Amino acid sequence: MIDPPVVLVARPKPKRMRYIVAGGLCAAAVLFLIVGGLSRNIVYFRTVSEGVTAHGKAPDDTGRLRLAGAVLTGSVERRPDGVTFVVTDGTTRARVLHHGDPPELFKDGAPVVCEGHFVKGDRAAVPTFDSDRIMIKHGAEYRPPSVDASK
Amino acid sequence: MKGALGFGGITLGFMAAALGVITMAVGIQRRDGRIMATGRQFVFMVLLGALVAAGAMEWALVTHDFSLAYVVRNHARATPLLYTVAALWGALEGSILLWALILAGYLTVTVRRLRARASDPLVAWATLVGLVVAAFFFALMLGPANPFRPTPGLIPKDGLGPNPLLQNHVLMAIHPPMLYLGYVGMTIPFSFAVAALATGRVGEGWLLETRRATLVAWAFLSVGIVLGAWWSYEVLGWGGYWAWDPVENASFIPWLTATAFLHSVVVQERRGMLRVWNLSLIIATFCLTILGTFLTRSGVLNSVHAFSQSTIGAWLLTFLGLAAATGIGLIAWRGDRLRTPGRIDSPVSREGAFLANNLLFAGFAFVVLLGTVFPLLVEALRNEKLSVGEPYFDRMTVPIGLALLFLMAVAPALPWRAASGPVLRRRLAGPAWVGALTMAACAVLGARGVAEIVAFGLGAFAVAGIVRQYALGVAATRRASGGGWPGALRRTVAGNRHLYGGLVVHFAVVVIAVALAASMGYTTKREFRLVQGQRVTLQSHHFTYLGSTRHQTGQKDKFQARIRVERGGHDLGVYAPALSIFPNSPQAIGTPSVRTGLLRDVYLTLVSSPDQDGRITLGVQIGPLVVWLWIGGGILALGTAIAVWPARRIRRRSTGRGPDPLAPPAPTTPSADEELLAEAPA
Repeated sequence: MIDPPVVLVARPKPKRMRYIVAGGLCAAAVLFLIVGGLSRNIVYFRTVSEGVTAHGKAPDDTGRLRLAGAVLTGSVERRPDGVTFVVTDGTTRARVLHHGDPPELFKDGAPVVCEGHFVKGDRAAVPTFDSDRIMIKHGAEYRPPSVDASK
Repeated sequence: MKGALGFGGITLGFMAAALGVITMAVGIQRRDGRIMATGRQFVFMVLLGALVAAGAMEWALVTHDFSLAYVVRNHARATPLLYTVAALWGALEGSILLWALILAGYLTVTVRRLRARASDPLVAWATLVGLVVAAFFFALMLGPANPFRPTPGLIPKDGLGPNPLLQNHVLMAIHPPMLYLGYVGMTIPFSFAVAALATGRVGEGWLLETRRATLVAWAFLSVGIVLGAWWSYEVLGWGGYWAWDPVENASFIPWLTATAFLHSVVVQERRGMLRVWNLSLIIATFCLTILGTFLTRSGVLNSVHAFSQSTIGAWLLTFLGLAAATGIGLIAWRGDRLRTPGRIDSPVSREGAFLANNLLFAGFAFVVLLGTVFPLLVEALRNEKLSVGEPYFDRMTVPIGLALLFLMAVAPALPWRAASGPVLRRRLAGPAWVGALTMAACAVLGARGVAEIVAFGLGAFAVAGIVRQYALGVAATRRASGGGWPGALRRTVAGNRHLYGGLVVHFAVVVIAVALAASMGYTTKREFRLVQGQRVTLQSHHFTYLGSTRHQTGQKDKFQARIRVERGGHDLGVYAPALSIFPNSPQAIGTPSVRTGLLRDVYLTLVSSPDQDGRITLGVQIGPLVVWLWIGGGILALGTAIAVWPARRIRRRSTGRGPDPLAPPAPTTPSADEELLAEAPA
């Protein structure tokens, strides 16, 4: 366990270049892996119009995205394994097939963000979106009721 | 009045910091020890200013002084005292105040400890840098983040109260100060690193000065992160404790670089190598804490933590840019002095392992940093919103984590310079067998998942190595001085606190790693729709829905379901997960109810309140070993405390053993001692 005293010996550096090349190659490979992993796991955030337009151009692309809009009033249908509804941003609509229970405050008109993907090859005017996660959109700042500070 | 007092404190703090910087600069320029000694006095005034300001804010909070806008936004008469006090760090302005206060505290401790060397240019420069940072944070409070801004218009009778998420668990009162003690503490080694570069004394001196501060700050940061995860688990109700949320990452990235630093300084202390690397690491750590503050406090992120929005972002980004540019510029300028004489002889050696450890930690930090800031960069450059999915983080970090676990098992047994085959076999064969047998046992017993089994095996490998080192140490002490086992253990640990404290920290890391692997790999989660009286079963646990109650108050509407939990015929009690709805907010806040056990947690959430048919949706999650994450955090704090506890007698110079946990006792390297002698003030 006891180390010898440190002796500083100047050494020739014949292998230096080789180390640098090897290190550079390793770094490049790791970077390649990281960037690849990143690009495979990007989730785009789209409004319904943007999402539906992009899906219309490439109907076979099932990339994961977050679709933002509001729940169309009267479109909600409960199903045993989840819920279906229509999400809209005022101009465009998409049908959402959600797996699992929607969150507590999910209701007609609620602003929602659904995460999932469009059904592959679905060329309908109102395409179907497979969702497994619904978030109710809300501002970052919380304001409790009943107290108005400035009046 | 309290507003004026507090603002006076901030003004005092800023003036003292600015005057201190000027005095120090003059003293350094004229090489006048007396002026430098005067300059350090300003540190105490900075502390006084910060104390006055923080005291005024607490006073205003406790006395419901709604003439201050901050009090109105973050406090209500009904807020319990604990959360009233904690409101100081509940929002942007208050947390900047807490930051300034903690920094003033660290600076005071540092200049007190080094009071005999007040005229040493290295210490003077470090004080100057620390005061510059302090001046910046006080300037923030004079300008964009003034905590004492008066309430506009009429003064209301009551305030809005803290965010409901921030006032339903006691951890919220502890977690932020811990995190800040860690974050801000990194300013001290950063100051000394800049001082070392500025004075040209880039040897080991600055490392020795800051070792304890760095370790203490690191321990606070670690505990702060663990507490944050615990809070997330107990309060947010999604069942997990770590979501790779940008705010979590913001605290984790500097932790990674600081951990790398704690290990690589040992190589510099022992062999004089890696100087540039160590300076870069600590400068990066400091910059990452500023980046973290920017991410958390400027509102650039759309995350569960983003409670604040303000113009402070530009200030913080500018400061971050300045700090980074200063660091990089200084390193480039001192390039000629930073060349180090030593080199790594063999990759299979202690320094080789430390180097690999550092590459892994740096890679880890890069992966997390990239995933965190990538959406911001894309949004800034292409105005496109996106997020990086959790699978990216999981897939990238699990292999790095396992590799680090492997190194942790192997490295403490490696000798410096080069290892011979027989030495390796003698030290590692036993622990390696323990690890291999553990893996085999897990596989035979039907454990799923390669990563999990590997994690358990490597954990056992590492623990066996730790036990071996403790056993050898205690046996040697007993041979030398006799006595019983407990006494020998105490004397052994006291004889080399850094080694044995470090080993305890390693043990804590194993505990956390095993708990992570088990809880991530083997958690079962299901949702049930239940009517009153209905009983369901998950993993031999039975859950009966007994009924629910509804409490309506002006502030919220709270549903609470009562669930009886049974296992193997034993009644484990009634648990009551709740769901609160705040009329003016679209947020429904679930409060989980957790039955914590040493082997597994039963985690109940109310997903939705009773519908027309009285049916609730109950979320049930059974997660093994979760509690060991928090226990591991406690062990980690204990280990660090053992390591930094001042040793009797050999208090001063010979605290020479590094934060290296694992260096055997040996004199400080010749280079370090020579440098200290050369550094004696003229």
